[in-house]
Amino acid sequence: MSVRNAILGLLAQKPRHGYELRIAFSAVIGGVGWDVKPAQIYTTLDRLEESGLVQTKSDIGEGREPDRRIYAITRDGRGALHEWFNDSIPTEHQRDEFYVKLMIALISEEANPDKIIQTQRARLYQELHDATAQRDMFNAKTELAHILLFDKAIMHLEADLRWLDMIEMRIETIKEQPFMEVEIRRRGRPKKGDKGSTYPPPETLSKNI
Amino acid sequence: MNIQLTLALRYLLGRKLRTFLTTLAVIFGVLVIFGMNIILPTMLAALQANVQGASGLVDFSATHISGEPFSISIADKLKNVDGLRAYSPSLTRIINIPADFYDNDSAQPDKVTALSLMGVIPEDARSVRTYPLVEGRYLNDTDTNAVIISRTLSDLLKLNLGDTMRIPSADGVAELVIVGILPARTSPGNEEIVVNLPTAQIITNQLNKINTIDMVIETFAQEERRNQIQSNIHNALGENFTIGTQLKADTQMFASLQMGQAMMNLFGVLALFMGGFIIFNTFRTIVAERRRDIGMLRALGANRKTIINIILAEGLLQGIFGTGVGILFGYFIGAGIVKAAGPTMSQFLNISLGEPVVTPTLIVVTILLGVGVTVFAGLFPALSASRVTPLEALRPSANEKIFNQRTSIGAVGGAVIIVLTIAALVSGRAEFIIPGGVLFLLGLILIAPALIRPFALLFGKFLALFYAKRGISDLAQGNLTRQPARVAVTASTSMLSLAIIVAMGGLISSLTFTLYDLIRANLGSDYLFVPPSIALWSSNVGVNEDFAEQLKKIDGVDEVSALRYSGAISNGQPISLLSLDPASFPRVSALFFQESIFADDESAYASLDESRNIIVNGALLAALQKKVGDKIEIVSVNGVFEYQIVAVATDMLNAKVTTGYISHTNMKNDFDVQDDVFIQLNLTQNADREAADLAIRTLAEKYPTFKVISGVEYYNTMKSQMDATFSAMYILFLVLAIPSLIAMINTLTIGVIERTREIGMIRAVGGTKKQISAMVVSEALLLSAIGTAFGILGGIYLAYVMVTAMKEIFPFGFVFPTTGILIGVAIGLLFGVFAAFIPSRQASQMNVVEALRYE
Amino acid sequence: MSNIQVEQLTKIYGTGSTAIIALDHVTLTIKEGEFVAIMGPSGCGKSTLLHLLGGLDKPSQGQVIIAGHNLSELNDDALTQLRRRKIGFIFQFFNLIPVLNAVENAALPVTLDGVKPNEAKSKATQWLTTFGLSERLMNRPDQLSGGQQQRVAIARALVADPELILADEPTGNLDTRASDEIASLLRDVSKQYNRTIVMVTHDPRIAAYADRIIFLKDGKVVDETLLERKNGKNAEDVVEKMKRLGN
Repeated sequence: MSVRNAILGLLAQKPRHGYELRIAFSAVIGGVGWDVKPAQIYTTLDRLEESGLVQTKSDIGEGREPDRRIYAITRDGRGALHEWFNDSIPTEHQRDEFYVKLMIALISEEANPDKIIQTQRARLYQELHDATAQRDMFNAKTELAHILLFDKAIMHLEADLRWLDMIEMRIETIKEQPFMEVEIRRRGRPKKGDKGSTYPPPETLSKNI
Repeated sequence: MNIQLTLALRYLLGRKLRTFLTTLAVIFGVLVIFGMNIILPTMLAALQANVQGASGLVDFSATHISGEPFSISIADKLKNVDGLRAYSPSLTRIINIPADFYDNDSAQPDKVTALSLMGVIPEDARSVRTYPLVEGRYLNDTDTNAVIISRTLSDLLKLNLGDTMRIPSADGVAELVIVGILPARTSPGNEEIVVNLPTAQIITNQLNKINTIDMVIETFAQEERRNQIQSNIHNALGENFTIGTQLKADTQMFASLQMGQAMMNLFGVLALFMGGFIIFNTFRTIVAERRRDIGMLRALGANRKTIINIILAEGLLQGIFGTGVGILFGYFIGAGIVKAAGPTMSQFLNISLGEPVVTPTLIVVTILLGVGVTVFAGLFPALSASRVTPLEALRPSANEKIFNQRTSIGAVGGAVIIVLTIAALVSGRAEFIIPGGVLFLLGLILIAPALIRPFALLFGKFLALFYAKRGISDLAQGNLTRQPARVAVTASTSMLSLAIIVAMGGLISSLTFTLYDLIRANLGSDYLFVPPSIALWSSNVGVNEDFAEQLKKIDGVDEVSALRYSGAISNGQPISLLSLDPASFPRVSALFFQESIFADDESAYASLDESRNIIVNGALLAALQKKVGDKIEIVSVNGVFEYQIVAVATDMLNAKVTTGYISHTNMKNDFDVQDDVFIQLNLTQNADREAADLAIRTLAEKYPTFKVISGVEYYNTMKSQMDATFSAMYILFLVLAIPSLIAMINTLTIGVIERTREIGMIRAVGGTKKQISAMVVSEALLLSAIGTAFGILGGIYLAYVMVTAMKEIFPFGFVFPTTGILIGVAIGLLFGVFAAFIPSRQASQMNVVEALRYE
Repeated sequence: MSNIQVEQLTKIYGTGSTAIIALDHVTLTIKEGEFVAIMGPSGCGKSTLLHLLGGLDKPSQGQVIIAGHNLSELNDDALTQLRRRKIGFIFQFFNLIPVLNAVENAALPVTLDGVKPNEAKSKATQWLTTFGLSERLMNRPDQLSGGQQQRVAIARALVADPELILADEPTGNLDTRASDEIASLLRDVSKQYNRTIVMVTHDPRIAAYADRIIFLKDGKVVDETLLERKNGKNAEDVVEKMKRLGN
């Protein structure tokens, strides 16, 4: 979504070549950690053109590069762009692989949860260490925008680390709490005489920490 | 600059107000010590200059150890002394000039109040001194009434060569013709007038007597040789003569001035002691405030010595600065007093004062004292600072627990001391009571920290009545009890000064009560013939018996009795010896008997004529360490005589001087004195008072040495003079209370500085400026109330101690010091409000936002 | 050479039933030039460990060896001298002397060591200039921001060329931005000047600047994380960056 909207926005500034668009996008996002392939740019452009949000025209110019196409935003394109501007961006936190890994470790007893926490923490610290080091490379006087992007990463890492500490502190309590697993039942209609059949079934693996 | 000094200086400058107040305390103590100590040497110098005159070439001078005149024949003993080149016997006396003697104008201040009369043998005198005359001629042996004076005196009296000059004499007035004029005088002291020896002997009624022999020894004598010659002279004259390179200042005067100096020094040391207290208090606060800074310095690698040095350097800087300024102000004040006292001094003691004398010793001692006390006061806080661990830099913690422990130990010790001293008081024995005074104060100081809380609660109740609506008296009370140690030190400072005031009040009320009675009995005769200087008899010219005889012949005169004077020595102690007529004296005057081997006073007087008996006053008895019935040896110019002490008694005028009373007969036989220095006269019951008065005054005009006053008049003069003295003493001790004011201001200001943030908070949550300032004022009032209460307790005890101590010398009873207490309370309250002025302004004017941010 | 060895270090406060074990047989080795963060919940003993490393407190058991000196064998004066010459301290509350200016504060350890004032000041000035405070040399602490004060404190910790720098919650009193600035400065110092730094912090973000993080819990080491220094920033970069700290 953001690549699409970013392209619309860059084209709203001025009509551009595909290559030009890729350079500009990299500049916006700081060129680190978020690599956009040329193919993705062109695919997106094609889809935008199909939807009538951008249009192309050939740039014959001096004839040296006859097949170079210039993209420009359409009226609908501007509309879509403004729709994006007017909306807020939802955040995504619920799906967390580490969380799943930890829970599985707890349930399966195949691995030591403490060790899992430590391993994860070591990784987060390393990432944090790298992020702070990379952020230090920027000059606050000219490249503040990039620094702020790193700050986001740093702060999220920091939050994750604090969350890890919290889990670590309370993991013994988690172990003691009963694990609510739903009774496994056969598919199909319940047999006669079976009690307690309910529908729909309760959510699986629901758990409060 | 050294880091310790840099830090010390910066810290001091960083807290200007506090530094100022603390330094003020040092300045004050130093000022008192220095100022007072330049006054006395100035007087001594003038005195010495007086006696010494222009000693010119003179190498040695011999005098009798009693200071009294001796026979001229003594001088002959020097004829063949090895090494002596020349000698000149002389009779040198200070002649007090009665008021308006020369100018006859009571409106004009007198230009000449005393002269130094020098009787010499003209040729002998020239062999030891030069007389560079600027006009006229030198004396010759046949002159009978010729005199040489200086140009200065000649100008002063507007008398020229050939004019006649009058001076008071034993016969009344002597008239001298000016034959020569010496150059103008440059040195301070009395003007000298030179006459022939016989002339001087007649004027002073000391026939065939001299009192000084000036000597010149062989030229170029080395130190060793000089000592040898001096001992030759000593051998020739005998042991009762003093041979000095310069004449000693009059012993009697010296003793009385020394007592004055001792008192002033005590006063200065007390002031400095309080200054030390204040500094101690401030430094303790400083150390408490800077625990974290100190811990950090320790963590950074400052060792204990460095920390001690930093705190001591602060003390040192303040000490040096305070001492410097104190010396400066002390000099100006001392010089000012010398200037102001000049006229009075010349009136009373017949001394012309020169420029203030500042001895190097005085400067050194003052600096040592001033700086020493300051540094010493900083020592204990510095030591406690050095014990701050580096950990406090990281985790600052309060260290109050240790202190509380110390407080309770102190309180127990204090309580024990107080109980003991009260027991001493109950025992009624002087040897316990006198040291008890100091101990009692010490006990109060020790117990003070423990009593702060109950006292604050008690006085807080009173205050709450006044400030009920403002609702801050609780806060003030709480603030005080928060730092009991600091409050205790401050309260102790005010306690000391107020105790002294109350004690002085007690002493003075006891003294006045007794004194006025004494004056009436002692000086209650109808007429008194008073010499110019009543305290210092030796500088007065007496008159011969004729005057008293003539007075007796006047119609209506019932009785005339005179006192005669001679200086003497017993056991190295100078004695002011007075003689009286045992028959007539009790009829016009009275001594105040304390102890006697006789049942009644009459027998004691009568016994004086029977043999060599002496009545001594308390001061002399104490100085000689003798008892009634003991015998003492008195040295006179005629030899050594043994007298028996028959009684202890005192009279009004001589109470503070070591005095003995003998009979006229013994005075004449043993001391060769026959002239009267003080006469008292009573009229008959039915005399024609107006006629008698006229006759007496007419006769007295011929003897201008004496001032004639009636007894009632004299009583009134004395009373008003004493009242003035006592008020002066009160003022003096009021000044002593000033350091306690500084201490209070200091404590309150530190309290305000410390609580800056808190005050900001109170203001922020809605406290008005009025409430804040009321809080500080009530704190001040609580503080001074505590100090005053303690001061009154200590003062009453101290007063009792002083009276007990004085009883030994002077008989009087203890009177409860109501006046002193009232003055103490007034000062306490006044200082409380006054001390609050600056800190309360500071607290209420505080910028709320800045105060909240204050660290 | 200047590695720090901590062996079986134990610190017990109080006695009997009220005794609290602040450190429980901790054994550690810290290499020269290493930047170590000590983390853990409050009361885990991390400050106690730092105090013992700095010779500010005496261990109940075990020993600390710094630059060949066994701290337990030194008396107060010798310890003081060791602190002065071999150890630099950085505190949470900066602890600058309020009456001294930036240069004088930074010069304090060498001044205390008897170095001539001019020499001491020029050393301090060099460090302060390196940390971008060249225009604040004469300012007193109350005229400096928190971050600037802490930079003065770091200059002070470095001025005597110590082998070990101990920092107790150096960012505890600073906002996020100033905290990052200080932590980054510490990392640069350790990298550029090869200084051993031991820092106590409870802030994961600040700890991440270190080369190694030691986790303490109930007086024991429970975990350790070695962090790799990936991106090679060269010396010029560091100096350049430090200079930008000015405002």
